[in-house]
Amino acid sequence: MSDTVRSPAGQEEARYRALQAVDPRGPGALETFTTGLHDESWRVRHAAAEGLRHVPDAQGVTARLVSVLGERGETGARNAAAEALAGMGPVAVAPLVRLLEHEDPDQRKLAADILGQLGQPQVEDVLLRALSDEDLNVRVSAAEALGRMGGDAAARALQDLLNVPTPLLRLAALEGLASLKRAPPLERVMALVEDPGVQRSALRLLGLYPPGVATERICRALASPVRSVREAALVALGAQASGLGPYERGELDAVARSVLSGIPGVTEYVAQALDGEDVQVRAGALVAAGALGAASLAVAVAEVAREDRLLREVLFTLGQLGPEGRRLLLGSMGTLSLPARTVAAEALVLLVDSTSVAELCALLEWAEDDLRAVVVRALGRTRSPEAVAPLVELLADPSLSSMAARALEQLSVAHPMAALTALEAAVEQRSTPAAVAVLGRLGRARVLPTLRRIARDEDASWRAAAVEAAGRADGEAGLELARGALADESPKVRIAAVRSLGQQGGKEAATFLGLALKDEDRGVRVAAVEAVGVAGAKERSPDLEALVRHGDGALAMLAVRALTKLGTVGAGVLWDALGHPDAEVVKAALAALSSAEASADGAALAVSLLGHPRWDVRVAAARVLGGLGRPECLPALGHALTVEQDALARVALSDAVHRLSGR
Amino acid sequence: MPRFDEGRPEMTPEEFRLLRDHVYAHCGILIHENMKFVMERRLWPRLEALGIQDFGSYHRYLRYDAQRSAELEAAVESLTTHETYFFREPAQLKAFREELLPVLEKRNAHTRRLRLWSAGCSSGEEAYTLAMLLKESGRFDDWDVEVLGTDLSRRVLTVARRAEYGPSALRATPPDLLERYFVPAGVNRVRVRDDVRAWVSFGHHNLSDVAGSQLVPRSDVVFCRNVMIYFDLAARRRVLGVIRDRLCPGGYLLLGHAENLLSLGADFELVHLKGDLVYRRPELPGGEGR
Ligand SMILES: C[S@@+](CC[C@H](N)C(=O)[O-])C[C@H]1O[C@@H](n2cnc3c(N)ncnc32)[C@H](O)[C@@H]1O
Repeated sequence: MSDTVRSPAGQEEARYRALQAVDPRGPGALETFTTGLHDESWRVRHAAAEGLRHVPDAQGVTARLVSVLGERGETGARNAAAEALAGMGPVAVAPLVRLLEHEDPDQRKLAADILGQLGQPQVEDVLLRALSDEDLNVRVSAAEALGRMGGDAAARALQDLLNVPTPLLRLAALEGLASLKRAPPLERVMALVEDPGVQRSALRLLGLYPPGVATERICRALASPVRSVREAALVALGAQASGLGPYERGELDAVARSVLSGIPGVTEYVAQALDGEDVQVRAGALVAAGALGAASLAVAVAEVAREDRLLREVLFTLGQLGPEGRRLLLGSMGTLSLPARTVAAEALVLLVDSTSVAELCALLEWAEDDLRAVVVRALGRTRSPEAVAPLVELLADPSLSSMAARALEQLSVAHPMAALTALEAAVEQRSTPAAVAVLGRLGRARVLPTLRRIARDEDASWRAAAVEAAGRADGEAGLELARGALADESPKVRIAAVRSLGQQGGKEAATFLGLALKDEDRGVRVAAVEAVGVAGAKERSPDLEALVRHGDGALAMLAVRALTKLGTVGAGVLWDALGHPDAEVVKAALAALSSAEASADGAALAVSLLGHPRWDVRVAAARVLGGLGRPECLPALGHALTVEQDALARVALSDAVHRLSGR
Repeated sequence: MPRFDEGRPEMTPEEFRLLRDHVYAHCGILIHENMKFVMERRLWPRLEALGIQDFGSYHRYLRYDAQRSAELEAAVESLTTHETYFFREPAQLKAFREELLPVLEKRNAHTRRLRLWSAGCSSGEEAYTLAMLLKESGRFDDWDVEVLGTDLSRRVLTVARRAEYGPSALRATPPDLLERYFVPAGVNRVRVRDDVRAWVSFGHHNLSDVAGSQLVPRSDVVFCRNVMIYFDLAARRRVLGVIRDRLCPGGYLLLGHAENLLSLGADFELVHLKGDLVYRRPELPGGEGR
């Protein structure tokens, strides 16, 4: 083992581990950790600070830490002590507030810094007083601290500071207001943007205002020769846009366009920013690129999609680059990164017309699955008869066939004969059973002879396809084929029959579904439960009720849903369902409650679930109660709200309380 | 203004959380609250492919359908970022080449065997990069060398095996290395040379699957870069346990530059190289296992 790799690190490692092994409750722990705060390695100091947080005598610890803050010359230890204090919570407040009175301004400054990090709102007053400390550094630290955690009074005080002559304080005030998201009167900020010392902070603050004058000023800053100023402007632009949501951007984009288009070289700068490190800068660059409608930036814009967080903005911006931009994208598909290619493809779907088929087919040759899915959608939108053949071929691709089927239906509106002929040919050549399904949907009675023939095929997939397609093509023939298919030896065919019966409905279908509910195959039973609901076969309700108690969550849940659809859920069944171990069954039962008559029983059932261990069940229960409109449930809801820990459940509960008390 | 989301279902906060928890339980990937939009977009194609109308039904499909495990894989597939490229994070690779490879050469001199594992290898660029660096060093030419790339996503593994890449994968590749280790493969595309490929193999592995990790051979170095950023603390602990177990005692773990093992306990020791910080599984007491 080489020594370069081992020695100093090894010693550090030993000290680090030794500290980690110290029991914070044991004797001498406070001393050991305090010594650790003075270690030369930051990692060891960090471990010491962490350890101190767990020493039981919190007051003793804070006192000790405060004394370390006074050790001038021990920068590392002081920082570690500050870090530890910032993590101690309310116990650290009193000693730090006392430290704010210390005669040494350096100590007072540290106290203000740490109080800011502690984020305890009760110290707002103390920090406000520190704003008139005789020492400038203390005042600045107090302003920064207020900017982290202050309320209304802090915002007002920071706003007043915008007028002081000291640039450092003005800067702290601007930054603080930006981080508190409190916008002072616009004129104040507009004046400060002209001050080079605080310009960047002022620009960022402008991002908090609605579009208009602020946008104009932000965009003008993109003409600055100073890179950091331009970046601050982009951050502000991004912030303004994010407050709006992508589809309410008209004014912002118009103002930005008019200013930006007058700045020479702006496109080039935006291109650089799109490729930059900082996410916020990139977000702003997207807004600028979109406002400019700069088609030449299409590829750079698409590449920003490598950052997940900006996906929404990228998609929106690509939409603003117009047909030219999208054409450029299509030409560069082969060189884009994977995420960029995916968004580019989405943009392309909107561009395609009858001339795009060849290009789209070329993409299909090499693209990844998710991209191919997009291409399939695009083919459906071309309205070109030439797209029929490739789509019929794609029916054979299991991962794309249902999408291809939908695209074919879309195309067949404009070219019914072309689609039908291609499908019939595909069926004749036995290319894929998926073609049969589409054929049934498009061909109706005309294709029945073909379907009858295929229903006798030796391959089960073809039989299944024919049976299901017949149901879509013609009711009577569908019923007849389905009945025969229920006796098929392949579960796949029986499932197809069950689905077809669900579509038909009627007395006979209900009888057959009764048999299918007792099928030996689980898949068939699952399909049958769903089909009973779809068919509206009320006579099957007793069968479904028996399934509600089934240990298989899927069957039980589907049975409850089907019964709900049929409108035949009784209280007994609900009790069974609400006691089911699978939460999805319980939720299905709750959904049934909300659609049933608002009985007192129902409300009691829902109330009993407000304490369910799963958050999603509690949410569902709260929703139901809000909808049932029974004010006598208010106390139960109120109580549940006071003990609820989960954020989503709290929202649901307070909505319910709100609704019930509003009546 | 064009709308990209016309007629597509929205995901409620509840559906988001149910799906997120389901994915997390499967592979430890934690999807942050602010990623709801991304999740929605990435899963739309799945809903379309299955003909499912809304995300609630999709969640039930993932729980109950006979095809559920295949679908969960497809969902995770579309949710994970597979962004990667050759010679990513050059400073770290330099430290690997200049400081770790000499150590490994000495250490394994008697077995003349070297095993590297690229865990979460995505489409293979990292695994091939490591093999190329081994070739560049000239130290292991007649050794028994294997670089294993594993990933949760089967789709990226197909790409990795094909070993054909375009410009975006090559954006950080120095021209001389491009010349030495790739051959042309059509317009704008290249293929990794066969002698490099001979050192690299790929396999499917979920890092959250503790039992399944037994299939991964003991390695001298594990690269697990830009994978755990998606995991929460508990999942990270689990994965680090797996990695530690698959490392030879004294073997190295290299993480992405934005990742570290702070607050993950002392299963690894920190090693300061001149050019980078890396982690190492401690040697067994008494020097066994060397
Ligand atoms: C961003 S890529 C990193 C690729 C490469 N290591 C690099 O740094 O360039 C992350 C990869 O981790 C994979 N991944 C995520 N969770 C995983 C898990 N639980 N098990 C195995 N691989 C996982 C993803 O499929 C993805 O391909």
